[in-house]
Amino acid sequence: MPKSKLVAVMATTALAGALVANAAAQDSFLDVGQQEPITILINSSPWYNGFENVVALYEEQTGNVVNLEVTPFDGMLEKARSAVRSGGTSPLDLLNINGTNTVEFYEGGFLQPLKDIDPDFEVPPEVLGLDDAGCWDEEKKFRICETGKLMGYAPNGNVQLLYYRGDVLEEKGLEVPVTFDDVLANCKVLHNPPDAYGYLQRGQKGDSIYYDFMAYLLAYGGSIEKDPANGDFTVTINSPEAKAALDKYIEVGRTCGPENYATLGQGDLIQLMQTGKGMQGHAVVAAFPNFDNPQKSAVVGKIDAAPLPRATPDGQPGVAIGSWVFAIPKNASEEGKKGAIAFSKWFLTYEAQYAYAEGGGIPVRTDVFASDLKDREEFRWMPAYLEEIEYGKQLLGYTEGPAVNQILGLRLNQALIGELSAGAALNRAAEDLEELFQRNGRKTGRLEPLPE
Amino acid sequence: MLVLRGPSRAFGYGLLALGVFLIIAPFLWVGLQSLKYEIEILKGSWIFPPTAFNYEDVLWSRRSDFPKNVVNSIIVASVSTAMVLVIGTLAAYSLSRMRWSRWISATFLGWTLVFNMIPPLTLVGPWYLLFREVGLTETLTALVLTHIALHLPMTIWMMMAFITDVPRDLEEAAMVDGCRRIDAFRRITLPLVTPGLIAAGVLAFVFSWNEFAVALSLTGRHTATVPVAIARFAQQYEVQYGQMAAASILSTIPALVLMFFGQRFVVQGLTLGAVK
Amino acid sequence: MRSPRPAASLTDVLDRHLKWVTLGPAVIVFVVLTAFPLANLFLMAASSIRFEQAEEIWTFALWDNFRRLAGDEVFHIALWNTAYFAVVAVAIEMVLGLGLAILVASLNSFKGVTRTVLIIPVLMPPVAIGSMWSLMYGHDFGVFNQIVTGLGFQPINWLGSVDLALYSVIILDVWHWTPFVFLILFAGVEGLPKEVIEAARIDGARNRDLVFKVIIPLMWPAIAVALLFRTILAFKVFDQVFLLTSGGPGTATEVVSLHLYKVFFMQNELGYGAMLSLAIIAATIAFLAVGHRAAAAVGRR
Repeated sequence: MPKSKLVAVMATTALAGALVANAAAQDSFLDVGQQEPITILINSSPWYNGFENVVALYEEQTGNVVNLEVTPFDGMLEKARSAVRSGGTSPLDLLNINGTNTVEFYEGGFLQPLKDIDPDFEVPPEVLGLDDAGCWDEEKKFRICETGKLMGYAPNGNVQLLYYRGDVLEEKGLEVPVTFDDVLANCKVLHNPPDAYGYLQRGQKGDSIYYDFMAYLLAYGGSIEKDPANGDFTVTINSPEAKAALDKYIEVGRTCGPENYATLGQGDLIQLMQTGKGMQGHAVVAAFPNFDNPQKSAVVGKIDAAPLPRATPDGQPGVAIGSWVFAIPKNASEEGKKGAIAFSKWFLTYEAQYAYAEGGGIPVRTDVFASDLKDREEFRWMPAYLEEIEYGKQLLGYTEGPAVNQILGLRLNQALIGELSAGAALNRAAEDLEELFQRNGRKTGRLEPLPE
Repeated sequence: MLVLRGPSRAFGYGLLALGVFLIIAPFLWVGLQSLKYEIEILKGSWIFPPTAFNYEDVLWSRRSDFPKNVVNSIIVASVSTAMVLVIGTLAAYSLSRMRWSRWISATFLGWTLVFNMIPPLTLVGPWYLLFREVGLTETLTALVLTHIALHLPMTIWMMMAFITDVPRDLEEAAMVDGCRRIDAFRRITLPLVTPGLIAAGVLAFVFSWNEFAVALSLTGRHTATVPVAIARFAQQYEVQYGQMAAASILSTIPALVLMFFGQRFVVQGLTLGAVK
Repeated sequence: MRSPRPAASLTDVLDRHLKWVTLGPAVIVFVVLTAFPLANLFLMAASSIRFEQAEEIWTFALWDNFRRLAGDEVFHIALWNTAYFAVVAVAIEMVLGLGLAILVASLNSFKGVTRTVLIIPVLMPPVAIGSMWSLMYGHDFGVFNQIVTGLGFQPINWLGSVDLALYSVIILDVWHWTPFVFLILFAGVEGLPKEVIEAARIDGARNRDLVFKVIIPLMWPAIAVALLFRTILAFKVFDQVFLLTSGGPGTATEVVSLHLYKVFFMQNELGYGAMLSLAIIAATIAFLAVGHRAAAAVGRR
């Protein structure tokens, strides 16, 4: 790596700390008036520092107090449920809810639609909607903005990106892969276990494999159910498209990954990238700052990002969004709700989002992605993100989401380890899903079984 | 206990040394990781430039309340252990020495066992509601109370096992000599079960020290205990191994020190009251 | 010096009602803190619970929950895995714990230090144990495979192999919980009447006879309690599985509390989750036939 790159990376890391003071000097931030103190439920995460910086900036500029209830990732759901379920006033005024669980909170009527608190509240048009992450239609019982109410907004939009070793690809004269077949072709050249792995993707049972398979399923034009937004829960996971996607997923996993491809989790994957064994792979954008952190990575400045692979060169990448949603509990105090709205307005401004990104957060405004930040070395993933996000899909926008996630998380993993054939795994998954939807009285059915 | 001589001595001690090594080695390995930057941890290196970064980050970084978490844990674990020992030993004594009708003792002991089997996940919700009703959420009091309930079953059963080992005649002889039952218990039975008391105390302390599910639900930022703080290093997308290793080491030290003094306290307290 | 009289009269009162004074506090703690959660669990298990307008809506669904339990394929696999795990892990831990307890009790010096060192594993927070061991089991960089390859063998797929994954979890469990067994049994050995053992030795008993014919029978209550509580804990195994394998690959390490976590917690199925929870308790009780006999032994003496 050129020395200047390293210096640039280190300098910007140092700069991030000085940012609060820096940004405070500008006075173009939104004035939201005086507010009562609020408490935000927030998880510890790689981007937490960015959020903490931005909150400090808010406090400094407005004089309003914000308490951060920093909670382990595995404790977020418990905390949020306790706050809204137990009657009485919620101790928390702004909840960060993981995408998988938002429906539970929307449907249970635990959240206050944002316009009920402040009719003037608008999410600025530049803010990514992330496929209607923050909306809920009570009639349809579905996450949709067109007919639904605004319940919250995403504080960050996490999607997966294709990562590759720019230096190695260049050295070997390889192109950045556009399709999964390109991935396999590159992999043939690059894969040299145990020193180098051609392509890394998660295979661990549960959410890991579910989420990583979605990149294939969506790219190959498959789907899980027919039209849940309009109440048609006919199961389509055993379609020929899904089968093609699963075959490809398994082929890539088995031929391009390490021996433990079927238990590879996010941590293992990022470890292999950071130690320099991973040549290509896909992972969440939140992982990127680690690659450039000399304390954590042996490949500082060597990993570049591109949109996820497609099925065909003119196809679309399969982008499943995994976002969080900021929302306000119905049982928060009136002052708390007002304060949370004020903070939200401020937080979604260009200036605040810019500062948030500089501090290590993943912003949600397109104009921040398009700003001068993208020219900086450490934000070199931004163009790929911006290109990809328009294809982003929020899946499982209904009550059974977590159960669907777990059913697929098991069946896909059984296919990956060879316990079931790809066709059989998808057929079993379809049966499980149909049973699940039937139990909940949905209009459902399933496709003809695939040959096993 | 056993007198080992010759080859059996070498064999026995060799076995013991191996056991101690296997148990301590992973802990030492974690200690080693706490001195590395993350990349060295990930690479599994054995030769590396040591750093105190992880310890500094755990103890002094802006988002860390670790010293406070340790204080909270010390309070919760010490108070709940002391109370569990007192309540549990009394109950064990009662159940094994007093004439309770069979169905009462069976019901009570069965209840404690069933309660012990409940997956903690299903307990947190009702407890949160309960403590919310009485305004005790986010207090250490609530956590102490739940930890007493959680660790009573084991203490009662353990102490029953140890008390039944003490011959009844000793107490009865003392009572014939005009000693009240309560004194016979305090001066004769209790000192004889000291090893059991210490084991029960250590276990109650350790379980309280590491209890996560209830602590997470019933504490807030200012009352969080060590396990809650340590869980923050296991994040959605990455585990901060270095910080986690450092925090694990930091959390075992005060616990070891406290247990050491706690044992001496118990031993001295009991020998003072004992009949020489 | 305090005047002895009022204190004495209080003690007299306590002494007169000693039966109630000794058991009372424990009963109060249990009634106040466990009655509600227990009752709640039973009620939930007979219901289906939804939320609407921030209100809980309970409907009777006992039979539905039963039917679902009977048809829950993953739960049945998990139950089998858990029982297998409990048998293997607890058996190894009991043997190792007993051996360590007797050996440490036979030490002439360093007894205290050795005991302190041996309890370190139970002192580490489970989340840290799970995370650090997943690093140790790592395929490419883990310390175990460093040793294996250092000895000239192929790296082992500790967590990714269907045949091996459950045993990898068991190895971790043995490391974590043998100290628990050791601690209880060490107290048992230390509490034995020295005279009895000395007498047996003078009678010419060899070490092996001492262990099997004198020490183990005498400390049976302690062994029973260790076995009982260790088994209950084994049935609740969660953290290490969650952090090492998430129940995979396939269903190789799927255990009951992991399944409960997914249903009760992640899917928010409170009714059926409570039913699962009761099923786990019932399974534990059934499994404890051995423990029941042990408990009877404690009661009889």
